[in-house]
Amino acid sequence: MGGGERGRGASARAVAYATSGVVLLAGCASMPDSGDLRGVESTPRQDAQVRVFAMPPSDDATPTQIVQGFLEALTSDDPDYRTARQYLTREAAKAWRPELSTTVLSNGPDAQVEAPEQQNTGSLSYTLTGTQVATVDAQQAYAPASGSYDKPVHLTRDARTEQWRIDVVPQGVVMGKSDFQRNYMSVNKYYFASDNASTPPMTVADPVYVRSHVDPTTEMVRSLIKGPTTWLKPAVRTGFPVGTALSKEAAPLTPDDRGKLTVPLNDKAGEAGTGRCEEMAAQLLFTLRTLSPAVEEVEVRAGGGPLCSLARSGAETVATRGALHQPDYLYFVDEEGRLVRITSGTSDTDPAPAPGALGEGEKALRSVAVARDERTAAGVSVDGRSLYVAPLVAGSPLGEPVLQSTGKTEEDRLTTPSWDARGGLWVADGNADEPRLYLLEEGSDEPVEVHTPELDGRVRAVRVAADGVRIALVVEKGDRRSLLIGRIDREDGTDGRPTVTVLDPRSATPELEQVTAMSWAGDSRLVVVGREEGGVEQMKYVEVDGSTPDVPPPAALTGVKAVTASEDEQAPLMAYSVDGIVRLPTGAQWQKVTEGTAPVYPG
Amino acid sequence: MSGDSAASAPRPSGGRPGRPVGRKAPGSRWGRLLDGGLLQGGVQGSPVIRLFVRWVRRPLLPVMRLWRRNIQLKVVATTLLMSLGVVLLLGFVVIGQVRNGLLDAKVKASQSQATGGFAVARQQAEEDESVTGEDGTAIDGRPSQSVIQWMSDLVESLSSGGQGAFDVVTLPAADESGSGRGPRASGEVNPTASVPAALRERIDSGPTAAQSYTRIVYDTKKDSQPGLVIGKQVNDPNGDPYQLYYLFPLTQEEKSLSLVKGTLATAGLFVVVLLGAIAWLVVRQVVTPVRMAAGIAERLSAGRLQERMKVTGEDDIARLGEAFNKMAQNLHLKINQLEDLSRMQRRFVSDVSHELRTPLTTVRMAADVIHEAREDFDPITARSAELLADQIDRFESLLADLLEISRFDAGAAALEAEPIDLREVVRRVVSGAEPLAERKGTRVRIVGDQQPVVAEADARRVERVLRNLVVNAVEHGEGRDVVVKLAAAGGAVAVAVRDYGVGLKPGEATRVFSRFWRADPARARTTGGTGLGLSIALEDARLHGGWLQAWGEPGGGSQFRLTLPRTADEPLRGSPIPLEPKDSRRNSGLDDAGPAHGGGDGEKRATVSAREPGNDASARDPLALRQAAGPPTADPTALPGSGARVVSRPSGSTRMPSGSQGGADPAGRQDAGGEGGRSEGRDVDRDGEASRGRR
Repeated sequence: MGGGERGRGASARAVAYATSGVVLLAGCASMPDSGDLRGVESTPRQDAQVRVFAMPPSDDATPTQIVQGFLEALTSDDPDYRTARQYLTREAAKAWRPELSTTVLSNGPDAQVEAPEQQNTGSLSYTLTGTQVATVDAQQAYAPASGSYDKPVHLTRDARTEQWRIDVVPQGVVMGKSDFQRNYMSVNKYYFASDNASTPPMTVADPVYVRSHVDPTTEMVRSLIKGPTTWLKPAVRTGFPVGTALSKEAAPLTPDDRGKLTVPLNDKAGEAGTGRCEEMAAQLLFTLRTLSPAVEEVEVRAGGGPLCSLARSGAETVATRGALHQPDYLYFVDEEGRLVRITSGTSDTDPAPAPGALGEGEKALRSVAVARDERTAAGVSVDGRSLYVAPLVAGSPLGEPVLQSTGKTEEDRLTTPSWDARGGLWVADGNADEPRLYLLEEGSDEPVEVHTPELDGRVRAVRVAADGVRIALVVEKGDRRSLLIGRIDREDGTDGRPTVTVLDPRSATPELEQVTAMSWAGDSRLVVVGREEGGVEQMKYVEVDGSTPDVPPPAALTGVKAVTASEDEQAPLMAYSVDGIVRLPTGAQWQKVTEGTAPVYPG
Repeated sequence: MSGDSAASAPRPSGGRPGRPVGRKAPGSRWGRLLDGGLLQGGVQGSPVIRLFVRWVRRPLLPVMRLWRRNIQLKVVATTLLMSLGVVLLLGFVVIGQVRNGLLDAKVKASQSQATGGFAVARQQAEEDESVTGEDGTAIDGRPSQSVIQWMSDLVESLSSGGQGAFDVVTLPAADESGSGRGPRASGEVNPTASVPAALRERIDSGPTAAQSYTRIVYDTKKDSQPGLVIGKQVNDPNGDPYQLYYLFPLTQEEKSLSLVKGTLATAGLFVVVLLGAIAWLVVRQVVTPVRMAAGIAERLSAGRLQERMKVTGEDDIARLGEAFNKMAQNLHLKINQLEDLSRMQRRFVSDVSHELRTPLTTVRMAADVIHEAREDFDPITARSAELLADQIDRFESLLADLLEISRFDAGAAALEAEPIDLREVVRRVVSGAEPLAERKGTRVRIVGDQQPVVAEADARRVERVLRNLVVNAVEHGEGRDVVVKLAAAGGAVAVAVRDYGVGLKPGEATRVFSRFWRADPARARTTGGTGLGLSIALEDARLHGGWLQAWGEPGGGSQFRLTLPRTADEPLRGSPIPLEPKDSRRNSGLDDAGPAHGGGDGEKRATVSAREPGNDASARDPLALRQAAGPPTADPTALPGSGARVVSRPSGSTRMPSGSQGGADPAGRQDAGGEGGRSEGRDVDRDGEASRGRR
């Protein structure tokens, strides 16, 4: 009996073991549907970059082949254009300076031969023609351009070798637009605003174009040290002492395994103190941020010895960037003309009244602006006649309007105001008789009239960049509303009041005929709503230098009356359209938030 | 070593005697080279090679021995080898099929992709041609549209369709017509290194697409990888041809293949190990009992009849074990029975001898009384009384011999060894045989008694042996001289008794030692000895650890040699006296004189080695006898030095010098005697044989 029971137990145990074994085996033989958690290392996606391999001229090439080969070599990644120089005669190769300029044509240069019957004389002329789109100057600053390109190229046949070579060639490089986009990339150089108003100093982005496949890191460092572009130069300063350059024996700069980049400078930089050196390092870190994300730390060396080193986290204590300021709330005007806000960066759709007089609806508002520290707000009354400034503190009374407009119609009165980083409030008066641009320093009630000597037309919208150096203006002249970027020049006047001037305005969107709304969307980027000539309304990003950034444009939206973006790229794009306040989260479609008008992020 | 090559050198030259005429000068040099090569390779002529072979083989020898002796190792190794072969073959086949399948799928997908790409390229060129055709060509009659940007755009748009799946490369056509366009490549591919030159030529030669396998090389640090490249010649908007290539990396396929490879290798390893283990287990099951049986059989043959195999279970191996055990048991039983029988017989003989003794004593006394009183009897009764006394004498000696023999058989004989001088024993024996010799007219000579011949021996037994030999020699010597020769050399002493009587017939030299042996068994034993004398002598020699051997030839007399170790318990290696005397008829060159030598070979030596029981067996075989008789024929005295170390020689070599020596011997006397004796030899022989056993 007992033996039988034991036998039954043993057999049951054997069955249990066999079953568990089978289950285990079955687990091994199928794909797992549960398991341990593990982080995923992201590998940077490799772009399908197309590269052109320049070929040296073949023997007995025809003149046309020489010209085409030369033009093709210009689009290659050849450093120093060594292959392209082989198409030139020796004298022309010495004189030719490809770095002087880059001309971008809409569809590549066409080479037209002139007088082909002269071929037997050993001398032949070609004309390179095309439609200009932009130029990049010697400082690598991009500028939109228009008009036709028409440059002569002359070939001679070498008497000794019987080979055709180019002996007259236009300076600089010329290529088509898509080749330009493939070969060049836009990178921001960072300098400091020269007014020294804040500590840490505010950085100003200075976009330049470098060849993306020819050691861009070293090229960018070199360009950064050389100094800001001409347009920005009066308003910024650099941490690099005059005469500083990369040390001559510097190899191509690459970060080591731990993300440390060593930048050797010549002896001139050795005089700089630690603070100055940290400024240099911060400039380098900000500049290389997007170009080579692997750089975590920069060590500056001068005259063979280490000067200082700065980690990426330390750079933000040395200098600040507009994009580093994350807005807390999105503000807009609700249907009753009150200033309301929702928390930024959330899917919150329930607006709450902002504290303070403007949020209490004492005066119905048309448009508002909130200071970057989110302590003060400014509102334009619903008729556009008055500008009120009130602190965002509950219970504070609404004072008298700080500015009054005398425009005849509602459209011709005050525009949406804009705050700069120092607390100055900018607003334009659209009075047809007397268009003005005002600056109210520190929110004081004594408006300063801003000189706009080079501005022709009425300012319809004004937005100041976070750095306080650049200002974006929508200027109306006739039927045309164009977006201009100007440089703010500030001088202390004799009577204690500053003289403020907007200088060198340049068009950021020459192709847009009607700009209806715009906002800063990055250090050197704006989001613009406008219409091309004969086109439909569209929303797109533009760089301050007029080039188109290499990012996908925002999803299409119709009837946009106002748009706002934060310089912090994480905050979603907000707009006021026929559907009310809408939001564009990253990687999604437009979503309706609530009813209301005039959405703004602080600034 | 040099002797080897010297010995083999004539072989090739002798191998082709007819060829030298046909050989030309260069040919001969080639031939010499060939000879040298053959010589070195075929005969292992080079000492270096042979040394190397030996050096390699030495550590392998234990392995080879193990291989030869161990069936388990053989089976397991063979199984492993065969399964490894099968697994390898299977692996190659499966991997080949998987590879082909993967490639087929990939090639088909790639071809359709590339064909689509080529169509797109052609379409774009045609579109752009039609766009610019209206204004571009009309200006100066030749298309000068720039294709630089167009082609870069084309490559970009084509390659953007499959990032990582393929890369696109353009190369100029061979004639580089139109603009001198450079190669373009997407995805960091090195275009010139990745596209094989043969494919470029093929693409140049015609408008059809072609494909090839290649290794895709990258300009960055990325490793190159195998790939499929499909190319076609396409026209650009200007109508100029260029080459468009699609490069499909086979990374994924290679990964799949390596996965299959790894899986197969692992599985194959497991299978091989499993088969090896199975073979090992199975062979172990079989080999272990076989090994046990072999061990048991060895012990059985060594005489330990109680050994049995352990048997468990009822399988074939168990049956083998049972049968084996049964066989051993039966063997044991039979041997025991035989032993009992033999013991019983010996006991019977001994008992009978003892029992006969008491009545015989009484009969003897009565016979003595009758013998004493024969004077009073009539002559016939007196003659009967004499006969009675004679036969009782004989009966008594027969009984004594029987008792002696039975003592030997029972192992009761004890050796009382002490150092004795054999010369004294010999003189005593010879003087004892003097009366008999005088009666026969024979003179007994002693040779080699100048120096003492001392050995550790039982004087009584040695004297008995020698007396037997001398009396026999005198009785069969037919009045001729009997020579007793003594010698000592090395660790042995020997006494040889030579007579020149009728001698022995072939085969009789061994049989003389048999009990109750007589030349003609049909004849009744009426006279002579008991027939046990030589048997007892042989047993005595054995007891000493010595040899007693006989040699004889018909008509040439015989010689009996007793060899004893100088000290007891010392093994014998040889004898100081050759068994066949130097003055034998054969040594004197008279072998072929008499056709009466039945076998043609007058050699009738016999060696009954008392020490080697194996020689009893060989004694039965005449052929084996001659071979086994080799070592004793060696003459240590003929050797230089002490002769302590006796080197066996073939009998022929001893015969040659002795034969040449024998020419100087007084052969004539022997010859005459031999011939003379032969006519009457039969009767004498009969008599001699009849009385041979007498002591």
